[in-house]
Amino acid sequence: MKGDVFASYHPAVNFLYFVLVIGCSMFVMHPIFLALSCIGGMAYYLYLKKWKALKTALWMMLPVFLLSAIVNPLFTHKGVTVLTYFKNGNPLTLESILYGLGAGVMLVSVLNWFSCYQVVMTSDKFIYLFGKVIPAMSLILSMVFRFVPKFQKQIEKVSDAQKCIGRDVANGNVLDRAHHGTKILSVMTTWALENSVETADSMKSRGYGLRGRNNFSIYRFDTRDQVMTTAMAVMGLMVLAGIATKMVHFLYYPMIVINDLTVGAVLVYLCYGVLCFLPVGINVIEDIKWHYLKSKI
Amino acid sequence: MALFEIKNLTFSYPETQTPALKDISLSIEQGDFVVICGKSGCGKSTLLRHFKTVLTPYGKREGEILFEGERLEQVSMRTQAGQIGYVLQNPDNQLVTDKVWHELAFGVENLGFDQQTIRLRVAEMASFFGIQNWFHRNVETLSGGQKQLLNLASVMAMQPKVLVLDEPTSQLDPIAASDFLATIRKINLDLGITIILIEHRLEEVFPMADKVLVLEDGKKIFYDSPRMVGKALADNDLFLAMPTAVQVYNAAGQIGECPLTVCEGRNWLETHYSPAPFPEPQAQKKKPAEVIVEAKEIWFRYEKDGRDVVKDLSMQVRKGELYCLLGGNGTGKSTTLSLLSGIRKPYRGRILLGGKDIRRIGDRERYDHFLGVLPQNPQTLFVGNTVEEDLREMLTDCSAQEKKRRRAVMDQVIDDTEIRHLLHMHPYDLSGGEQQRAALAKVLLLEPQILLLDEPTKGRDGFYKYKLAGIFRTLTQRGITIVMVSHDIEFCASYADTCAMFFDGGIVTAQDARAFFTGNCFYTTVANRMARNMFPGAVTVKDVIESCRQNRRQA
Repeated sequence: MKGDVFASYHPAVNFLYFVLVIGCSMFVMHPIFLALSCIGGMAYYLYLKKWKALKTALWMMLPVFLLSAIVNPLFTHKGVTVLTYFKNGNPLTLESILYGLGAGVMLVSVLNWFSCYQVVMTSDKFIYLFGKVIPAMSLILSMVFRFVPKFQKQIEKVSDAQKCIGRDVANGNVLDRAHHGTKILSVMTTWALENSVETADSMKSRGYGLRGRNNFSIYRFDTRDQVMTTAMAVMGLMVLAGIATKMVHFLYYPMIVINDLTVGAVLVYLCYGVLCFLPVGINVIEDIKWHYLKSKI
Repeated sequence: MALFEIKNLTFSYPETQTPALKDISLSIEQGDFVVICGKSGCGKSTLLRHFKTVLTPYGKREGEILFEGERLEQVSMRTQAGQIGYVLQNPDNQLVTDKVWHELAFGVENLGFDQQTIRLRVAEMASFFGIQNWFHRNVETLSGGQKQLLNLASVMAMQPKVLVLDEPTSQLDPIAASDFLATIRKINLDLGITIILIEHRLEEVFPMADKVLVLEDGKKIFYDSPRMVGKALADNDLFLAMPTAVQVYNAAGQIGECPLTVCEGRNWLETHYSPAPFPEPQAQKKKPAEVIVEAKEIWFRYEKDGRDVVKDLSMQVRKGELYCLLGGNGTGKSTTLSLLSGIRKPYRGRILLGGKDIRRIGDRERYDHFLGVLPQNPQTLFVGNTVEEDLREMLTDCSAQEKKRRRAVMDQVIDDTEIRHLLHMHPYDLSGGEQQRAALAKVLLLEPQILLLDEPTKGRDGFYKYKLAGIFRTLTQRGITIVMVSHDIEFCASYADTCAMFFDGGIVTAQDARAFFTGNCFYTTVANRMARNMFPGAVTVKDVIESCRQNRRQA
């Protein structure tokens, strides 16, 4: 994503952020938390993908939400506030309806955050981060990402060439097709092995296998990243502390219990809110800054 | 002290009788630009692989190789990795990682430098080679020329003393190839790095070289300055691969100093010969044959919102001719071929094959006994474990009687394409030219009337092209129509019947080959450019030589 400022932070910052937010979204079913996370995630996804995000929301997220909201009260009969009874004698409870709604929102926001994750955490960032954990891994991943598109391209070419001699998967009856398909796949294996010999030569010739290989990266953990990490850590800890001390607390079953609206609770809400709207906020601030700069020119 | 010193090197591959290299001795000085040439299979690549221990093939070896006075096996792997840089033939297979910046850093990473040094090296190389604009891209989005430049840059980042290149431009189009060779030249001149290069674009590299090494059957036959080698090769058949100026010089009787470039050739002609127009050959009054391939105002694009790749293209190909589509890279030539073969469909206009609309011709009918397509990469056609198996595959799914007939066809095709000695080999073990002939044989088994070829001369040397032209002639005489896409001006000038200039999605002009090339002044053969002032109308090397013989200036 080109215009996204948050994505330009160090990959570790991006990754830490998503772990924190997705973790909280998954495990905290507090309605205010859910609302903040859902709106924050959606706003970010909208910012990243513009109008395309609406299509995803409509086709993927709405059905998930509806399914969860409808299915839960049909199959869960816990809760003390009975609204009515089904034909088979099971009760329909207020708590199960609310829980269904809550779970629906939770699923939607997690989906949203994962979609954002996919856009922001590109393959090279992922490789960079996990290369630190297992050094050989980063190179292997990078080679895989190189190999897959190459393989696809070649299979297309082979398929075209075979089509012209009437031996592609699209030619002949079902048996013929299967036969042609297996032939193509088998020759692709040969091709991959054959060509990897040259790749291996190129690696050897450039000194792969010498002791003391060092991983290079184009990322630098700068002051901006340090500030951001600290801010995220502080807010994250506040939120976790709030949850651990039950300052924010919510129960669906057997009956709805919510924490009191204390100063501490408000502070925790605030922290979580800032956390959820962080990427969008950063982007908006940057946009305003640019607008201001432009008008000065 | 010489950079490389080879003493009596003899090498044979396991389980072979004849050695691949025989008693080779030579020395390469620091800063030399050495070009190695010879026929395919003469041991060029085998010799090249001896310049680095990790790439050296297995086999029986005698003699020794010294790198800066020390035996190469005793030079540490680290020193060898850093100081001897290799660039191989295929730009794609050499790339290891998915990102340009990662690829650039790959070699330096292996040497274990710290972040700061790697950063500097990478930055240096990206700037030197002008890579900064595509530094963050994925490697698969690059063009062939860019990929090969990246391979070179990645090797250069390790700061080698010598660059060893094995046909680095064979997979590139002419413009990318010229750029690449110019870069090599610049590295040699500006940085003083020694270059050892195998190349068949001798027209361009011959004038650049300090020394030329000629191999024949694994033996060194010449190792001297290009002028001397050009002169010495006069009665060797390797002469076919020499630059045009050298060929003319040799065939016309070696008068004066041997010219290497077009400019030198021009001056040389003016000093020694008197101008005379080349006589126009008698036009054979043949009744024009029927039109067999016809395109009527076809348009094509890959995506709905994309740009038009083929625009308003009309063409007519007559039965039994060799029709060449010439033009720059990315102008839509290969796409046109895929339209004619029916793999892709134009969104407007009609294509007629043998007078019948291509959409009305079913798959079976189209590819059996009618249309044959040879893709650019012959490897894509092979599915068997031996060439023979691959050919036999084409005989399945027909009756016993038909099978018998087809066997006879197969026999003839094998002779036509001269692959009988290769039948028991695995298709992937063949050389590029042999692979192409085997693939052509496979296509010919379908007994096509129309043959579509995509750049059949790409990456091939002079002798092979000569052979290929012979095969084409046999086919056209039998009434098969050949349509080929090519960058190879020299080949088309010598052998084509009709040439068409392709530009911006359409055919600008289609003419008889001779008329086509005498009319152009840039996009024409080297021989024509060299002799156009002296012998207007002479297009091929043969024409120029003939004119020379007749118009010798009397002293």
